[in-house]
Amino acid sequence: MISLYQRMMRVAGSTAPLLRASMFITIASAIVQGIMFAMLYPLFHELIYPDENSIRRLVILGGILVGLVLIDAALRFIINRSDWESYIVAGHELRIKLGEQLRRIPLEDLNDRRVGELNVALSGHVDYVVMVLSGLYNIVLYTIIAPVTTLLITLFVDWRLALALGLIFPFVIPLYRRIRVLSAYGFRASGEAHETVTSNLIEYAQGLGVLRATRQVGPQSVRLQDSLENLRQKQSTAQNWKTIPGLMIATVVQVGILIVTLLGLLWVVGGSLDVAIMLALFAIMVRYSETLAMFANMTTMFDIMETALERIDELLDIEPLPINQPHGNIERFDITFDEVDFEYAADDDSSLDGQVLHDVSFNLPERSLTALVGSSGSGKTTITKLITRYADPQKGAIKIGGVDIRSLEQKELMRHVSVVFQDVYLFDDSIRDNIRMAKLDATDAEVEAAATAANCHEFITRLPDGYDTTVGEIGGSLSGGERQRISIARAILKGAPIVLLDEPTSALDTESEVAVQRAIDKLVEDKTVVVIAHRLSTVVAADTILVLDDGRLVERGTHDALMAENGRYAAMWNAQQQARRWKV
Amino acid sequence: MAARQESKNQGLWAITVPVKTHMAAGVVLAAVSGVLLIAGNVMLAQVVTIVAGGELAIFGLAFGFREAFWLLTGLIVLTYAIRGYSFIISHLGAFRLEEILRTDLTERLADMPLGYVISTGTGALKKVLLDDVKNLHAFVADSTPMIGKSVATPIASLVAMLLIDWRLALVAVGVLVLGMILMYAAMKDDATYRKQYEQSQSDINKAVIEFVQAMPVVRTFDDGTTSFKRYNLALERYRHHTKAWIELTALPGKIALIILSPLPTLLAVTAAGILFVTGGSLSLFGLMASLMVSTGMADTLMPLMWFNQALKKSNAAAERIQEIQGLPTLDKTEEPQIPERFDVTLEDVTFRYGEEDIYALKNVSFHVPENTTTALVGPSGAGKSTVARLIPRFWDVTEGSIRIGGVDVRDMTTETLMDTVSFVFQDTFLFNDTLAGNIRIAAPDASDEAVKAAAKAAQIHDFIMSLPHGYDTLAGDRGTNLSGGQKQRITIARAILRDAPVIVLDEATAFADPENEDEIVKALSNLLKQKTVIVIAHRLSTIKDVGQIVAFDHGEVTEKGRHDKLLALDGTYAALWKNYTLAQNWDVQHSGGAR
Repeated sequence: MISLYQRMMRVAGSTAPLLRASMFITIASAIVQGIMFAMLYPLFHELIYPDENSIRRLVILGGILVGLVLIDAALRFIINRSDWESYIVAGHELRIKLGEQLRRIPLEDLNDRRVGELNVALSGHVDYVVMVLSGLYNIVLYTIIAPVTTLLITLFVDWRLALALGLIFPFVIPLYRRIRVLSAYGFRASGEAHETVTSNLIEYAQGLGVLRATRQVGPQSVRLQDSLENLRQKQSTAQNWKTIPGLMIATVVQVGILIVTLLGLLWVVGGSLDVAIMLALFAIMVRYSETLAMFANMTTMFDIMETALERIDELLDIEPLPINQPHGNIERFDITFDEVDFEYAADDDSSLDGQVLHDVSFNLPERSLTALVGSSGSGKTTITKLITRYADPQKGAIKIGGVDIRSLEQKELMRHVSVVFQDVYLFDDSIRDNIRMAKLDATDAEVEAAATAANCHEFITRLPDGYDTTVGEIGGSLSGGERQRISIARAILKGAPIVLLDEPTSALDTESEVAVQRAIDKLVEDKTVVVIAHRLSTVVAADTILVLDDGRLVERGTHDALMAENGRYAAMWNAQQQARRWKV
Repeated sequence: MAARQESKNQGLWAITVPVKTHMAAGVVLAAVSGVLLIAGNVMLAQVVTIVAGGELAIFGLAFGFREAFWLLTGLIVLTYAIRGYSFIISHLGAFRLEEILRTDLTERLADMPLGYVISTGTGALKKVLLDDVKNLHAFVADSTPMIGKSVATPIASLVAMLLIDWRLALVAVGVLVLGMILMYAAMKDDATYRKQYEQSQSDINKAVIEFVQAMPVVRTFDDGTTSFKRYNLALERYRHHTKAWIELTALPGKIALIILSPLPTLLAVTAAGILFVTGGSLSLFGLMASLMVSTGMADTLMPLMWFNQALKKSNAAAERIQEIQGLPTLDKTEEPQIPERFDVTLEDVTFRYGEEDIYALKNVSFHVPENTTTALVGPSGAGKSTVARLIPRFWDVTEGSIRIGGVDVRDMTTETLMDTVSFVFQDTFLFNDTLAGNIRIAAPDASDEAVKAAAKAAQIHDFIMSLPHGYDTLAGDRGTNLSGGQKQRITIARAILRDAPVIVLDEATAFADPENEDEIVKALSNLLKQKTVIVIAHRLSTIKDVGQIVAFDHGEVTEKGRHDKLLALDGTYAALWKNYTLAQNWDVQHSGGAR
């Protein structure tokens, strides 16, 4: 309970004081309600034992009641306002906090989490967490505090009755524990069944082409149909486990109240209890019984919040990569790998097992062009990732201009590096702003100059609103090559002295390829360039070719030197030339 | 053309027809339990008041304490048992509906043009199959008992109160009416605000997706400042609009919350009741019973408001599901025919996607003789991929016909067509099964030898044997993550095992993984032996020697013939060739200083 309270306060962020105040007011309001019900004791007394002053006393009691109702109404009025306030503000703050965290966490952690998972955290989980702030907690507080208040007052009216009522709880609590265990168990079982169905459905939709060709669709897709059936059974069982104990609690509470009522009646008949007290208590109990009985079902909302909060915490707990003192600044732009060993974190799905780079050392002089070649999984992409500090190597160091990149602020490092990927991400914004985001203070003329250099000025001016066309409006009509050229214009505008190219033309058709190739030629002028190449013919002119195999640097040199060496590079070259000569 | 499913019955009620018995039972049982609860309260009031001089007589029957206790206990147990049963039955119905809908949707997907499945994307389909189907749950499982209870309890309460004392019933109803009048008076037209709120809400969802998706890219050229600003802006707008809307609607909401809570009703009934009791016109039992029952009316109105919300969400889900259910399926032929030859003819094929104005293909005709190869070339968007997809009926032609061995593809059963045409690489998809199983899926009765032979021909046997578990290795296992090229060769092994006489091949996807090109080349050569081949070509050097090249531009065939003939025409093909040779001769050059 206390940890739950602390968690809620943490979620509330800057509205925590507001939430705390709101909780106090809720408790006050619940106590007022409890007192109001206790007022039934004197009311019934006047009804059953009327005397000449009864009317006067009834009027006073009525006045007090009306006063209490008004106080309660006023309190609720305030709570409602502050609840919405904390709901809105807390959600907002939590999203900002998560957003900031996404900017800080190592790219490796970012990559580990799928886009879907992060989406759910930032939209869904945040909603679940703040939902509790928006009025859910006060239902729980009312359900507990109002009856307890009345019970405490009853203690003074007739302690035997209060005690008898209090005795119901020892019966309920073990049942309540049981229901939690059972529903958790059922939840897990049906959760697993649901996961199986999910992956089977995805497999079905993705593999539909093959399944259709092999006639394993519809009722014939045995595995899928079995898992659907299994899910239904598991869900049904889980539902029974959840519903039945919940209703048992409700029944126990109600029967308990009935027993207390009858006990009271016996005492009345025996003469040891005032009839008026008995009647009043009875009216009170019936009022509370239903909400108390269904209390167990309400608490599942907190389970949802806790699970969501755990996920959010997981994300918030990731530490950003440390920046070593003293902070450096880069003045030269040669790149050095010094005995670098690297392996991906164990839970990274995209990696192969074990170490990805073994003892890799090289120096790439300023303004040189270096090509990384090797089969997939040999470590090419990892090298470019490490230059942007995707993750830190386990051993060795990476230096730019002699400065270890671990002592550079992320901003400082990124200021000097441009990366051109295979996939381009364009924002739903004007084309101008999409290019300008590389250098926020660039003039329109600078943006257009970069676009011209990247070979996209011409097609941009042909768009309906030219540079002010929003990407969303024309979304699909930009070809892969055009998108790629816009991303190169970004990189040209940025003018960073180091350029990393990750096979930027491999996904394009020949026509766009030529245009993108020209744009790249402009981009790499006078830069320190590292290019990953699958097609070896594109890097013949490189100053150095680094050949990687299974994470090791096996050969280095110019094309001619490596061909003369007749080793791994020459073999790859020959195989590619062979494939090139293939005729359909 | 495909038959469009007539679906007049839209919405939640239509989609829940298969489980309407469950739902009706859920509503009725919950209603019965609601009525029993009220009846129990009235009886309890009667039991209590006998002590204060009342009489214990129900329907003229006199009871003692003991009997009354057992009767009431029985009533309580019965009330909750029935309520529980109503919950269980409506949940079972909901689970049943999930299964029915998923089975139905997966069957439907199998009959739909495959093109639809591909263009919709697995993500969107997954959302419908999983999330939307699940969203119906709230309606079927949780709402039905609530409807029953929310309708039955106020009515039963009102009836009970009228029977006990009509004046008190009027007081209780009066409080509710007063509350509603106040609420109505305070209610302002919030349509614009609500719309803004809803818009900004969907905007933050978009902003979240954009922010998250762009992050890895954005991080490499700044620290996310720009995209963070956009994300932040969307959040600010959301906060602003939420606040504006809530402030406008807060007053009626608060009034509702206060008036519809049980306290005001209790207070009014107590006050009036005391007046009547002291005046002698109401028995103590009447007051007690009225107090028990009166709040039943106000209590159940709140859940009904929430119910409205659940209804909206479920309705949107139902509509998305029905949208898929209503999509056209491929026509099934009445008299299926089986081709005996395997030449492919396109005759005046015209095609457009759905109801679009632009034709993707116009009057396309060409003939591919049996066991020859035809290459389709053209700039991107010219229509070559569309042609390739029409042959295995990813879509059906709008006009004209496609025939294999003289038989229109629409006159073949899906099975025959699938046995006749292999569309290689559309499906480099590996199932979560062993590698042998993944190859064998093409021909479930194939022997181990046949599977191995296919793998050998596809140049993947040696690799498979190098794995610790060989052919029994699970495709999804860690450490055996196959590279793109290895997956493709498994796919080729599949196609070899399937041995369809017509093969459609997209070269762009064939060489997506340049690292083991030569092996793929060997595998393909084995696959294409003695087959009718239609290839979408990108590397023009590979098709210099094919029997026929068909060049496309803007959805039309511009040229047909062999390489030399087309070059001489100096048209579409010649332009493509020029571009191609230019791209081939590029290498990254730069005027760096360290050369």
